[in-house]
Amino acid sequence: MFSQNGLSLDQAPPISVVFRFFLSGSLFGVLTGAFVLYFGSDIFNADSTKALIVTHTLTLGVMLSFMLGALFQMLPVIAGIKLTSPVKKANLVQYPLVLGILSLLSAFYSGEPALFISASLLLGVTILGIASIMLKNLLALPNHSNSSKGMTIALGSLILLTLFALYLTGTLSGFFEGTFYGQIKTAHYSFGLFGWIALLIISISFQVIEMFYVTPPYPDFIGKSLPMRLFGLLLIGLVFGFFFANIWRIVDLFIIVFMLCYALMTLRRLSQRKRPIADATVWLWRLGMVLLVLSMAAMLTTRFYTLPPLNSLNYIFFAGFALSIVFAMFYKIVPFLTWFHLNAQGYFTAPMMHEVIHPKTAMKHLYIHLATLTAFLVSVYYAPVIYLAGSLLILSFGWMLWQIVHAWKLYIHTQKTGEKFEMTMPEVEG
Amino acid sequence: MSISQFMTNEHRECDTHFAAAEQAAANGNWEEAEKAFLTFSNETLTHFKREEDELFPAFETQTGNTQGPTQVMRYEHEQVKGLIRKMAEALEAQDKDAYLSLCESMMILLQQHNMKEEQMLYAMCERLLPPDLKEATLDKMKQVVL
Repeated sequence: MFSQNGLSLDQAPPISVVFRFFLSGSLFGVLTGAFVLYFGSDIFNADSTKALIVTHTLTLGVMLSFMLGALFQMLPVIAGIKLTSPVKKANLVQYPLVLGILSLLSAFYSGEPALFISASLLLGVTILGIASIMLKNLLALPNHSNSSKGMTIALGSLILLTLFALYLTGTLSGFFEGTFYGQIKTAHYSFGLFGWIALLIISISFQVIEMFYVTPPYPDFIGKSLPMRLFGLLLIGLVFGFFFANIWRIVDLFIIVFMLCYALMTLRRLSQRKRPIADATVWLWRLGMVLLVLSMAAMLTTRFYTLPPLNSLNYIFFAGFALSIVFAMFYKIVPFLTWFHLNAQGYFTAPMMHEVIHPKTAMKHLYIHLATLTAFLVSVYYAPVIYLAGSLLILSFGWMLWQIVHAWKLYIHTQKTGEKFEMTMPEVEG
Repeated sequence: MSISQFMTNEHRECDTHFAAAEQAAANGNWEEAEKAFLTFSNETLTHFKREEDELFPAFETQTGNTQGPTQVMRYEHEQVKGLIRKMAEALEAQDKDAYLSLCESMMILLQQHNMKEEQMLYAMCERLLPPDLKEATLDKMKQVVL
């Protein structure tokens, strides 16, 4: 964190590193909407290829892109880690990642073994490579915060779930017999949903809820213990799942309790914040937490009753939870980084955060997001509404796409035309 | 009370005044906003002075390192001071949008800075400074005035 010549500017990666991941994440979001329009309500049939395609466009294309962008930005701040040559690393990750995702989606659609092989190679090498580098840096930290500890465990989960995925694609392409296909598939999505997506959000929130909204810290039973316990539970499910498939029913119950504790505590912390102004990001965090509670309630209910719509509702609630938090982070990160980099480069005319993205613009996105969620929920009961839901999803990510392009144009414009204060400090490249 | 506790408490107090000023400005109560902002800026600048005049030199003498963490913190103090000036201008002009926008930047900048101090620098001071020097530094810091 504090290298010999290290000034705070040096710790932040160039703005383009973060923006490129947000850009590809938004484009995959638009693609998800297009798939929804193309496949219709079939996406709710969990065993269908169509559901697989939409799920992986969302988790790999959207979530992983945004999460990698956020990690590149946040590791220096939260964990004091500075990744060397971030632009080079970002390029080496992004291009194979995009190709790998497209290859995997085509493989799901066609069932072609060669496509599964290329997807496995591209995604396996890229995800395992960058996750290991980040994990290695995190493990070398002398002082760990709750946040950095949680991120370490989340990255560990990402590595495991990728290895499971390689077994699954290896089976689908004929490399393995697939004796443990069912067990590994359960482990893959459990580690993916809870060990990676939820845990990364939880770890980030340990820091940002307190930092952005000025709240008391999370209590120790959540801040200190939850990430490790959650990971431990997943490991129990993984190991014992080979002998008793029912172990996941018990593991899931504990996961539900953990997630509920976290979501309710976050809602409480948000109500205790010292900054009373409620902008779109506060509402997005609240919405995300409410959706997580609903998702867990749906998951719990499916343990006792067999109601087909519950699985679809759970799918929408959980995806809505993760996307709400991604949007909340986006509307803080993009304006702050644009202002921060230009200001640190000495531009008098650096646009203020509200000039990059106005709070009203973020609020409009919140309404679009709410309308999208409502349309998806209605479509579970009245199928034709799925086309409205798909269109709204495209609008939602199109909205984000426009914000990134706008911020980037403003950044370049200021660099080209802005008056500059002569700094003695080193500059960062865009 | 340790150096870390004392300085961390000051961070939290500054946050409270900052939030009060922000809320007052959002409500259009400029008199109240000005009062709270003045307290926030005075307390923040006094806090910086305590660090720059007493804590950082003690750390630098003890470790022999003047180019490391303290240098980063000094640079960030300058960034915060620049923002305080801009916020004062927006407050004077009663420009609500500009003030609230600057508040956003200030809050993220300041919290990142505080986090580094609390998790790294103060922890390093607690570990590296001998007990006598810690006590003396804390006493001297308490006497610093703007």
